[in-house]
Amino acid sequence: MAEPLITLRDVSRSYERGHDVVHALADVSLTIASGGFVALMGPSGSGKSTLLNLLSGIDRPSAGEVWVAGQRLNDLSEDALATWRARHVGLIFQFYNLIPVLSALENVELPLLLTPFNRAERLRRAETALRVVGLAARARHLPSELSGGEQQRVAIARAIVADPDVIIADEPTGDLDARSADDVLGMLRDLSREFHKTVVMVTHDPRAAHWVDVVYHLEKGLLLGVEPGDAERRA
Amino acid sequence: MRFLPLILRNLGRNKLRTGLTGVAIGLAVLLVCFFLTMPAGIDVFLSQIASNVRISVHHKGGLVYQMPFAYVNKIRAVPGVVAADGVVWFGGAFEEAGHVTFPSFAVEPEHVGAVWPDYHIDPAALERFRRFRDGAIVGRQTMEKYGWKVGQQVSLRSTIWPVTLTFRIVGEIPNARSPLFWFQREYLAQAIHEHGWTLSIVGIVWVRIADPALVDGVMTKLDAMFRNSPAETAAETEKSFFASYFGSLQGFVAIILVVTGLVALCVLCIAANTASMAVRERAREIAVLRAIGFGRGLVFGTLVAESTVLATVAGGTGALLTYAFTAGVKLAAGGWSTQLGPLSGFLVSPAIVGQGILLAVVVGLVAGIAPAYGAAHRPVASVLREVF
Repeated sequence: MAEPLITLRDVSRSYERGHDVVHALADVSLTIASGGFVALMGPSGSGKSTLLNLLSGIDRPSAGEVWVAGQRLNDLSEDALATWRARHVGLIFQFYNLIPVLSALENVELPLLLTPFNRAERLRRAETALRVVGLAARARHLPSELSGGEQQRVAIARAIVADPDVIIADEPTGDLDARSADDVLGMLRDLSREFHKTVVMVTHDPRAAHWVDVVYHLEKGLLLGVEPGDAERRA
Repeated sequence: MRFLPLILRNLGRNKLRTGLTGVAIGLAVLLVCFFLTMPAGIDVFLSQIASNVRISVHHKGGLVYQMPFAYVNKIRAVPGVVAADGVVWFGGAFEEAGHVTFPSFAVEPEHVGAVWPDYHIDPAALERFRRFRDGAIVGRQTMEKYGWKVGQQVSLRSTIWPVTLTFRIVGEIPNARSPLFWFQREYLAQAIHEHGWTLSIVGIVWVRIADPALVDGVMTKLDAMFRNSPAETAAETEKSFFASYFGSLQGFVAIILVVTGLVALCVLCIAANTASMAVRERAREIAVLRAIGFGRGLVFGTLVAESTVLATVAGGTGALLTYAFTAGVKLAAGGWSTQLGPLSGFLVSPAIVGQGILLAVVVGLVAGIAPAYGAAHRPVASVLREVF
């Protein structure tokens, strides 16, 4: 069994909305092994995205501890968290969220602007990442010139280009047709299997279970259960 | 520099808005640069009409008060003084032209050449001026305005003294901008003597100093000499004298500078509005950048840099255009001071271009700060809730 890369201990997250307090997540504890491919599933409002925000250091828990890649995220300041994210987390969004005025190559280069690499090295790495997702030929195209599936592959290249430990994907197939969704899921699985990246994905897509190692089910902020994915069962 | 391409691409995403804002900033800086030539232009104008070795000595209480005529000889005796001429305001009105007035003074003719050598008055005219009691030397502007000729007689009615005097024009001050009318002090003294008055006062004593370096020392010495007397003096350089004399000009400059400030404020609001709209439209993108590791300082810096780059490029263009315009006019005139006269002072100098660019940079920086700060400090998770 691989070492856990992500550990949550009794994590809760609540928000104040006017005079009300919304408990988005309550006493969630889980561990995710390094190199694992995990899906978080549940209905809307179940706390999936909140959990994803906490794992990626975008949000802070109201209670409990979040450990990722050996770092207790509770201890980090806002700016330290940003630096930590740049080094350890790759993010993939449902609607790609590429910068529309930058080419595919420049979008992929963005996280590398935060590294000490010179321009030539940044471009070399960005081109490599685009090659990994099969889009080297579309490097100079703007996002508006790419299909949804291609844009999501650019987003995946952007997520992996800085060689993070964890890839966080929020409904990465939510805006894609079935074929593109399979491509993306296959790519995420390859990142886990071939490149030993830990991939945590929120999804409503029932087919996702076919690709992942573990599925966590959440509802109303509670972790209801864990079941192995089809990939794990096959293994 | 590694973020410059990102900054430039963001500026180019709404070309119409960026262009219109840039034009507004450019025009405003262009206007400000022209306005900024006013104080310098007036300064140059005053420098052109004033000598750096000539000073005026007048009553400390102001020009309406008189000093004893005996002061003039005391002033001449001060070391460093080359010559001095005591003048008395006549306030002559030319009735034939509709009671118009111009600067007319009773002067000491034997000292005119020594006090105003830079006026280049014909020595023969000065000699006639000394010889004829009713002689007058008149500035070319006044000569041309009324079509007067040397040898002609003109009558002026004084608005100060109870006399009307007839003068014989014996020469001119060869300066197209000179409105002066000088005549002999003795002529005025005799005329008012008939009314039982004695001319024992002087309004201003114009003094020529041997060396510019001595000017401050002589002025201090003169004022000290008459301190605690019934008529204390205030000595000042000719340039300073004219600057005070043209007090309305200073008021005009003040108004211009206020307008300049308001123009700068307007353009600041325009730039701030553009920056604010740009940030609001890109809230999701900014949140994504912060999510992938762009720190608050970096986000703040790149957003402020956007408005600063836009303002600097637009403002710099406006400033350089004003420079090119005045340089072009200078070239077209074929000779700066000779052809353009007092306008030659209103020159957009490299220093003014620098001030215009500095204004543009400050406008860009200030305009970007508030929206950039807001975007950089908004919690990422709350923005991303819209994205996730």
